[in-house]
Amino acid sequence: MSIIQINNLHKTYTDTKVPVKAVNGISLSIEEGEFTAIVGPSGSGKTTFLNLMGGLDTPTEGDILIGGKNIKDLNSRQLIDFRLHHIGFVFQSYNLIPVLTAIENVAFIMELQGIPKKERHQIAMELLKKTGLEGKENYRPGELSGGQQQRVSVARALASKPKFILADEPTANLDSASTEDLLNMMSELNKTENMTFIFSTHDKRVMDKARRIVTIDDGKVVSDF
Amino acid sequence: MKILFIMAWRNLWQNKRRTYITATSVVLALVLALFMRSMQFGSYETMIRAGVNEVGNMQVHDTGYWDNKTIDRAFFTNPALEQKISSLPGVIHMLPHLETFVLASYGDKTKGVQLVGVNPEAEDLQVKISGKITSGSYLIKGQAGLVIGDKIAEYLNINIGDSLVVMGQGYEGTTAVGIYPVTGIAHYVSPQMNNLIVYMDLETLQKLIFPFRPGLLTGISVYCEPGLEDQLLSTIKTSVGDHFEVISWKVMLSDMLQSIKLDNLSGMVMLMILYIIVAFGIFSTVLMMTVERRRQFAVMISIGMRKGKLVITSIFESIFIALIGVVAGLILTTPALMYFYLNPIRMTGEMAAMYESFNQEPLMAFSIAPSIFFSQSLIVLSLALLSALYPIFYVLRFNVLNALRQ
Repeated sequence: MSIIQINNLHKTYTDTKVPVKAVNGISLSIEEGEFTAIVGPSGSGKTTFLNLMGGLDTPTEGDILIGGKNIKDLNSRQLIDFRLHHIGFVFQSYNLIPVLTAIENVAFIMELQGIPKKERHQIAMELLKKTGLEGKENYRPGELSGGQQQRVSVARALASKPKFILADEPTANLDSASTEDLLNMMSELNKTENMTFIFSTHDKRVMDKARRIVTIDDGKVVSDF
Repeated sequence: MKILFIMAWRNLWQNKRRTYITATSVVLALVLALFMRSMQFGSYETMIRAGVNEVGNMQVHDTGYWDNKTIDRAFFTNPALEQKISSLPGVIHMLPHLETFVLASYGDKTKGVQLVGVNPEAEDLQVKISGKITSGSYLIKGQAGLVIGDKIAEYLNINIGDSLVVMGQGYEGTTAVGIYPVTGIAHYVSPQMNNLIVYMDLETLQKLIFPFRPGLLTGISVYCEPGLEDQLLSTIKTSVGDHFEVISWKVMLSDMLQSIKLDNLSGMVMLMILYIIVAFGIFSTVLMMTVERRRQFAVMISIGMRKGKLVITSIFESIFIALIGVVAGLILTTPALMYFYLNPIRMTGEMAAMYESFNQEPLMAFSIAPSIFFSQSLIVLSLALLSALYPIFYVLRFNVLNALRQ
């Protein structure tokens, strides 16, 4: 069953001197449990495509159906709530909240969802354990390595029980050992939890792990296998 | 909500030095403002207390006397009326007066003075004239004698035991002429009083002004319990009828109140300047805290935090900075103000003369009225809330994508 259905998606930036077609007619379907890498050269439109899928940007044309719901029809407030309940984000620079500890960062998203304190604490502890951060619960991001921060970021993305996780170049700032660890962890989560991961990446190691690779160039899908 | 509270608090300590500097500016402003207002209100309270002590909370006169202070607007004592006023709840006591302007002569010198006839014992209990006598003695009921201000004595070159001739208009066209011994020379805090006032026994003055019928008065000062003044004013007005006017101390001391208002206004202008500086201090911190977390805001909105919650966090931050400053400012200032309230600073030299010109003891008094602490703290908190307007507009107009691309 496809959890994301994208039909003839266009995004044209008109606030530049010359209009830029960042996404130019992409149609794509992503099934539940996929481990997909969106690849392409710099400026190919993969980040814009990811932003559109994540409801952070609005398409000029086309539809994005997530769980059957066209997110184009949502206003900005509804989009924020939609992201909170349906989409997990992992950012290139981890982007944890620096003043919260690892467990607070993971629990934060559940607090936004209104999950009771006891339950969110329990879930956050389990997720940190799953991501190999047992014992680091009370460390703040500044006290963790890059790899550990990205693990917290993954745990935070999982905490909202999303339909899928969007990861924008998650390994770009990591050393090879941390990259390997992170990919193994995400691959494991994909298998055991059937969690759908969609990456945008340049990283060959991510591509090697991915079970589907969608290549984008000039805002169009040039290959999908 | 708790997590927003925690985040706001911890955000402040992300840059400790900046928070300390901002909070210190709030503390300094609050300390300055509290000292300034406490001193101002302290001196106002003292001035008003001294003024009311002298004239009473209100005075009953013949209608029109206040606007045209002539002896022809005097009235004869009315025991029924006095009984009616003194029986009203809240009235502490009443002091009858007879006042008139006369010429006072001694040797080859003459001076215009104000003769004030008082009931010596009752007056002394309230105004404490006897405590201001520097030589001689105070008045005795029913005995002829004068207590004169020291400047009058100096001008006329008159001493205790010498006789002063007084001459002026009596009641209903009569002429009032008398000669009385000086029993006491007094020094009042007001130079104007030292130059003008001659106290004498009420009955003796009544005989001088109108010997044909006893009991002539120009006014009755009424002293009442605090807080009942406005209520009593209207009750007494109703009780005395149209033949009498009841004048509040606010009218009698309107010049003093005017100067207080003016001084208060200048204080407020000073405070406004001070608070504008503080407001910019808080605002610059809030501005930096907002702009430097642009990316963090973007991430938080991306993962599903509503903008309203971000706004609340920013408001908490502004309030926390102000609260730290306010609490520290109050802790520092309150004991100091309490000390000065209990031990006012005695002024000397020109400052003392300035106080005396307002008929006031040369003491720099401090007020510890809760309203001062409350209002100044509230102003600082309001400034913090005002500074929080920036992050509110910033977040509401925030473009997530632009910030993420940063």
